Amino acid sequence: MANSGQGGHASHVTPEDVRRLCEFLYRRTGMLFSDDKRYYIDRRLNERMAASGSSSFQSYFALLRSDFDREIEHLVNAFTVNETYFFREEHQLRCMTSDLLRAVTRDRPPDEPIRIWSVPCSTGEEPYSIGIWLMENFPEVDNYQIEIVGSDIDTRALASAAEGIYGARALMKLPRELVARYFEGVTADAYRIDPGLRDSIHFTKVNLVDPREMARHRNFDIVFCRNVLIYFDDASRRIAAENLFDCLRPGGFICLGHSETMSRISSLFRVCRYPDAIVYQRPEIERDQD
Amino acid sequence: MPLVKKSASQPSGGLPADDDHAGLLQKLSSAEPDARWNAARALGNDPKDVPALAAALAIEPMPRVREAIMTALIRIGDESSAAALLPYLRSPDAARRGAAIEALQSLPGATAPFMLALLRDNDSDVRILAIELVRGMPPAEATRLLCSVLEQERHPNVCASAVDALAELGTAEALPALQTCAQRFAETPFLPFAISVAIARISDANGG
Repeated sequence: MANSGQGGHASHVTPEDVRRLCEFLYRRTGMLFSDDKRYYIDRRLNERMAASGSSSFQSYFALLRSDFDREIEHLVNAFTVNETYFFREEHQLRCMTSDLLRAVTRDRPPDEPIRIWSVPCSTGEEPYSIGIWLMENFPEVDNYQIEIVGSDIDTRALASAAEGIYGARALMKLPRELVARYFEGVTADAYRIDPGLRDSIHFTKVNLVDPREMARHRNFDIVFCRNVLIYFDDASRRIAAENLFDCLRPGGFICLGHSETMSRISSLFRVCRYPDAIVYQRPEIERDQD
Repeated sequence: MPLVKKSASQPSGGLPADDDHAGLLQKLSSAEPDARWNAARALGNDPKDVPALAAALAIEPMPRVREAIMTALIRIGDESSAAALLPYLRSPDAARRGAAIEALQSLPGATAPFMLALLRDNDSDVRILAIELVRGMPPAEATRLLCSVLEQERHPNVCASAVDALAELGTAEALPALQTCAQRFAETPFLPFAISVAIARISDANGG
């Protein structure tokens, strides 16, 4: 039996077992965990072995491979990182309203919706931030139908996003008047997002490296895909970039995290330097050849 | 509220239908770029597909589709995939050369068996690009390969590339080869200086 999940190596889990688990996780999600993450891996593996009542790695791995009781989903949920907060990397939100939407709406009739995608959306802070930012900073917000979709591979995070209840820490960057306008207190340290805003955002499960899941998400004008590709290896990053290309309308934009650059992943996108952010654009007109 | 909730689902338009394997291979040579793009993206799981992907890559005019084919080769990731990418190191087109280097850098294990031959290629430009591939290898193996370059290479620019790579990732084992190379190219203005910088960096990194 693995240890109690307080760190350290699981007593009956060998390096080869860990390698097999990481290989399985990589094939399913594109997330790459190497030996230097052994503590992180052990802790989550131990949690899942305990939760599934597995007495050995072999029995756990058999259960995982057969996806008994949705164990793959539980394992993926355990390995994802859901650390975020409202108005994170605010400069990109500013770029969205000052530059990206101007480009998106240039030839867009008002009856054709603007589609914005937050992927991965974790527990919902990002798609709700996009909604709040648009309501506060996009003067034409009433002239367009704006659809915001939040997606993540972690179904627990999605359930939490749909519930829309946050601690004070998640709200630390929000001006007090916005907290008052868009949240109501539930307890001393818990706030519920405005039901109207909550109900306007559609949440879906998606795996960035799964073309079939990604194919259900199309025609986006702006995609926020921040701080996830850093967890992928080169091959998975390229697959994700190609999937994201297909999810965007021609001329649509991708915003990555501040430490990420698409130029090192793929040449499919055009680099756009705006005063508030560097973003990447699916070319409006594709080069048909060299 | 002007924000509207709609289903995320949109007409897919981009995903290949459930073509059988033979159908996908056939679509690699379709007249429709999107069909070729979708086929390339659906392949990449079977080493048997490498010859078809390599043939498609050789004649593919669209950069987007070429990139998808290269991604499929990276996904397969075996020696035959690396071999399919190697010819593009000689391409007169900088974009193709750059794309091949990036793809091969993703496959250090599969590329390793070709490294000695690449580093001894007749074309000095290919040897310089090969040194870029060495950068992605484990430091001990990279040091060994780069030292072999310093010992045998006659072109100062190739040596300079090897010295630059060693300054970044070299271990103490490289110091004798660097010193010998500095003597060999004593008359070349820039190389002894570059080598002295590399020696200082490696010595610092090794507590010397």
